[in-house]
Amino acid sequence: MRPVLLAGHERALTQIRYNLDGDLIFSTAKDQHICAWYAHNGERLGTYHGHVGAIWTVDVDPTSTMIASGSADNTMRLWDVKTGKNLKTWEFPTAVKRVEFNEDGTKLLGVTEKRMGYLSNIVVVDINPDVNAEQSDEKILTIVCDESKATVAGWSYLSKFIIAGHEDGSVSQYDAKNGDLLYNVSVHELNTPVTDLQWSNDRTYFITASKDKTAKLITAKDLEVLKTYVSDTPLNSAAITPKKDFVILGGGQAAMDVTTTSARQGKFEARFYHKIFEDEIGRVRGHFGPLNTVAADPTGKGYASGGEDGYVRVHMFDKGYFDFMYEVERDRQNRL
Amino acid sequence: EDAERGASADREVVEARRRQLDEWCAWRAAIEEELLEERAFLGLPEDPLAVLLATKTPEVPDDAEEQIIE
Repeated sequence: MRPVLLAGHERALTQIRYNLDGDLIFSTAKDQHICAWYAHNGERLGTYHGHVGAIWTVDVDPTSTMIASGSADNTMRLWDVKTGKNLKTWEFPTAVKRVEFNEDGTKLLGVTEKRMGYLSNIVVVDINPDVNAEQSDEKILTIVCDESKATVAGWSYLSKFIIAGHEDGSVSQYDAKNGDLLYNVSVHELNTPVTDLQWSNDRTYFITASKDKTAKLITAKDLEVLKTYVSDTPLNSAAITPKKDFVILGGGQAAMDVTTTSARQGKFEARFYHKIFEDEIGRVRGHFGPLNTVAADPTGKGYASGGEDGYVRVHMFDKGYFDFMYEVERDRQNRL
Repeated sequence: EDAERGASADREVVEARRRQLDEWCAWRAAIEEELLEERAFLGLPEDPLAVLLATKTPEVPDDAEEQIIE
């Protein structure tokens, strides 16, 4: 794997997202810029200016027309990918820690921070997919997370459920139409926050990462834990690779939590696990600090990681990656 | 005897993997079918993303950003 280094951010990365075609990468960092990059060569397509605080989150709609972002400046914003224009700003009493479009790009959710007497909320707004249209101010749904604050959230298949991960290590399933809480399941160790939640391509299952050093593969329909990936470091992010049955985990002990900060001791590596067999199958080194975010190219060609060190590393998978198969997988393929 | 034990342990690992793979494939087949049925019931296309991308391409062939979806 030959990485492309994207050195456009001045501070720690917070989230990376690929567009659906896998040719663009969007990244956010604590430096108040959102960057867009070409995935194949790492050239910068542009930056989106307007936020006046650390940016925690970004997502791109399915047609790569608009992106959404959430920031410590207490706003969620919508941007025109091509012109960089800030199309809409929604204001909240606290920071916006996570945004996500639903599968057809007609709805956007934002997760707000719990602070100063405000509870963490999951809010939903309608999105008009026309970039020239006026976007609505109205929050069509507000889910109040009074048990444990939501740290991450996303839309299931058919935009049927909103799934949230919480600070207490649990995962919730809400009815996406009326916001009713349908299930809450403790999947991670009690009071170890869920740090990431990423979907399979068809949004029927997702992976969570947690500070309890594990990642879990969970069904959207009934929150059944299908798989558990055990690592040796607190996890910040986890992604599911299309094409191959792997998952990628990223994390690492923060510098202030370790006495020595050599890359090895800090465990600043992206780890690959087999999605079905739960075995660790490989690691990729390179970052000088914890991995805050990992993202898989939806077309299966590569992945990107963003570190506390301020770098984005984009990797293209080589032939060995695609050829790698367990004996039982090869057997099954031969039988079919 | 050690070799014998090793071989049977290997067999167990392989058998466990085979079971995991079969279970996974069975679950995928079931959920994929269920999803298709739900989409059909709601009158939605089988692949939502393919439709969205197809709508965008013909309108502005080499300028992906300017499509309008009604």
